[in-house]
Amino acid sequence: MRATKLKVVLGVIGADCHAVGNKIIMSVLAPLGIEVVNLGVMVSQDEFIDAAIETGAEAILVSSIYGHGEIDCQGFRGRCIERGIGEILLYVGGNLVVGKREFSTVEALFKDMGFDRVFRPSVDLVEVAGLLKSDIRKSQATTVQTERIAHRLAG
Amino acid sequence: MTLISIDIGSTWTKGAMFAFSAQGQLELVERTAHPTTVDNLARGFNAVLEALAANGAADELFYSSSAKGGLAVAAVGIVPEITAEMARITAHSAGAKLTRSFAYELTNADIAALQESIPDIILLAGGSDGGNAHYPVENARKLARSALPSTIVYAGNSHVRDDVEQILAGSDLICVDNLLPTLDCPNPEPARRAIRDVFLSKITAGKGLDEIVRATGREPSPTPYALYEYTKYISTFAPEFGEFVLIDMGGATTDVYSFHEEINTPGTVRRGLPEPRIKRTVEGDLGMRVSARAAAEALRALAPSDDPADAEFDRYVSKVTTAPETLPNNPEEMHYDALLAQANIATSLMRHAGRAHEVCTADGLVTMQTGRDLTRVSQIIGTGGYLAKTPGFNPSGGIPRLGADAQGKRILAPRGGQYRRDTDYLFPLLANIAKGHPAAAVQKGLQSLTAVS
Repeated sequence: MRATKLKVVLGVIGADCHAVGNKIIMSVLAPLGIEVVNLGVMVSQDEFIDAAIETGAEAILVSSIYGHGEIDCQGFRGRCIERGIGEILLYVGGNLVVGKREFSTVEALFKDMGFDRVFRPSVDLVEVAGLLKSDIRKSQATTVQTERIAHRLAG
Repeated sequence: MTLISIDIGSTWTKGAMFAFSAQGQLELVERTAHPTTVDNLARGFNAVLEALAANGAADELFYSSSAKGGLAVAAVGIVPEITAEMARITAHSAGAKLTRSFAYELTNADIAALQESIPDIILLAGGSDGGNAHYPVENARKLARSALPSTIVYAGNSHVRDDVEQILAGSDLICVDNLLPTLDCPNPEPARRAIRDVFLSKITAGKGLDEIVRATGREPSPTPYALYEYTKYISTFAPEFGEFVLIDMGGATTDVYSFHEEINTPGTVRRGLPEPRIKRTVEGDLGMRVSARAAAEALRALAPSDDPADAEFDRYVSKVTTAPETLPNNPEEMHYDALLAQANIATSLMRHAGRAHEVCTADGLVTMQTGRDLTRVSQIIGTGGYLAKTPGFNPSGGIPRLGADAQGKRILAPRGGQYRRDTDYLFPLLANIAKGHPAAAVQKGLQSLTAVS
C-alpha cells in the first residue's frame, strides 16, 4: 500500500488576474499537509492539465473571481479525459457567474460540467481542505481496488 | 607563463598561444590553423601544437572538440512544454546536438526513428519528483526492449529511479537528479554534467582523440559546452558589460547563447518554464555552407524583398553547399553571403527569443509572455568563421524587422543595438582557457572585440 499523497494543482483560470485569493488559498492549504503546485493567475485549461500530468497531482483546484468562470470552465472534464487524466478530482470556486444567481443553480451548472465540488466565495478554506483530503483518500482507495481487480484478472 | 589552446572544429583545427603579461593579462602570441584531419584528429592537432610550440614550450594546454558535429542527444519527456522542453534546454546547454525530441509515451515509430539514427545519448526525463510515475517507467520499458546501444541518462521523477534502474539493468545507464524536481525549480546541472562526462568517455574513443588524451594527459571539452561556460564567466567576471547575445555561426549550424535575467514587470504575466540566466539554442539547419539552402529559404520567408531570387544566387547557394570551403571572390558573392548570414541570424534569434501577446481582461490589457524577453538586450557578439572575418557585416540592421510570428505573437528578440565582432576568432580558444583562468580569459575576449557601426 502506497502512502497517501496529497498533491494538488492550483490556479486562477482564464483572463483573470486576481492574485490575492490565489495566495490565500495556497497559504491555508499548505500548512494543512497539502502539497500545492501553484500556477498563479491567467492559467489555461491545458496548463492546469499539463501540470497535473507532470506532477501526478490528485486534484485540480480552479479559481475564478471575475465572473467569466462559466465560459472558461466549459469542457474542462472533457479535456482531462482527452489528455488521459479523466479520473482526476476537479474543484472550482469563487465568483463563478455574472449576476445574482442562486448558489444551488451555480453548483448544478458546474457539476454538470464535470466538477466534483463547487464552492461559493465565502467558503471556509479549512473545510475545503478537509473535503479535499477525504475525496483524495476515497479516490485512491478506488484506484487501489481497481488495480487489485485488474491484477487478479491478469493473474 | 604561456598557454596553448586548440579547438578541433569540423573543418579547421584552430590554435593559439597566449602569454600572461606582467599585469596578469593574456596576450596573443600566435594564432594558427590546420585543416581538421577527420580520419585521425591527432595529426591536425599535432601540426597546430608543433607550429605553436615553435615559440617555446607552453606551461598549460587546453583543448576542445566539436568533431562529429558534437554529440547526438535524443530527449524524452512527458508534456511538450514542460519536461520535454526542459530536456531539450538541458541537452543544448550541455553542448549537444539535439537529434530528436519525444513527448508522452514512446511509440513504435519513435523507437524505429531512434534505431534508424542511433543517438550517442538518450536523455530520459519526465515527472516532477514524486509526480508522474507512468511515463518514465513505461518509456524505460520501451527503451529496454529496443536494446539501443546509446547511453541512457535518466533525469526524471526520482521516486521511480529504482524501477528505471531495474528495467534498464542491461543498458548503459546513468541516473542523476531530476532536471525538473518541481515545476518552478529547473535543475539542469546534474544531467548536463552527465552528458559531458559521456562525451569524454565515449566520443573521445577513436578518431585519434584518445591518442591526444594519452599524449597530453588532459581531457578535451566539447566546444559548445566550453562556450556556454564562457558566456557564464563573462556574465560573472564582467558584469559591467551587461546582458548580451553571442552568435556562433558556422557552415552547418548556428548557435545562439544569451545572458539575460528575467525581471517581473507589472502588467506582464509569465507562462511556461522559468528561464535560465544563460541559455543556448542550436539551429542545426541554419549555416553558411552545408546549410546554405535552408538559409536561402529562411531569407525568402523573412525578407522577400532582399531575396535576389535569380539563377545566379541559386547557383551560388548550390556551389557553397557542395563545396563548403568556397570563399566569396567578388562583390556579388560577398553580398550573397551577407544575405545568408542575415537570414541565419534573424531566424536563429527568432527561435531563441520568447513571445508575447496582449490579452483583454477585466483589469485592462495584460501581456502574456513565454520564453525570454531580449528586447532590451543591446549587446550582440558575433563569432564563427564568417562573422569573425567579415569586417563590413552588421546584423543589427535586420533584427528589429522581426515583428510578429505566424500566430501573431510579438517576437522578443533584441532590437538591434551594438554589434561586436570577435576579430581574431578567439572566443572558442579563450573559452577553453576560461576553465583554468576565467577572469583573464574574459578580459582578453572582451578586449579583442571590434565594435561595428
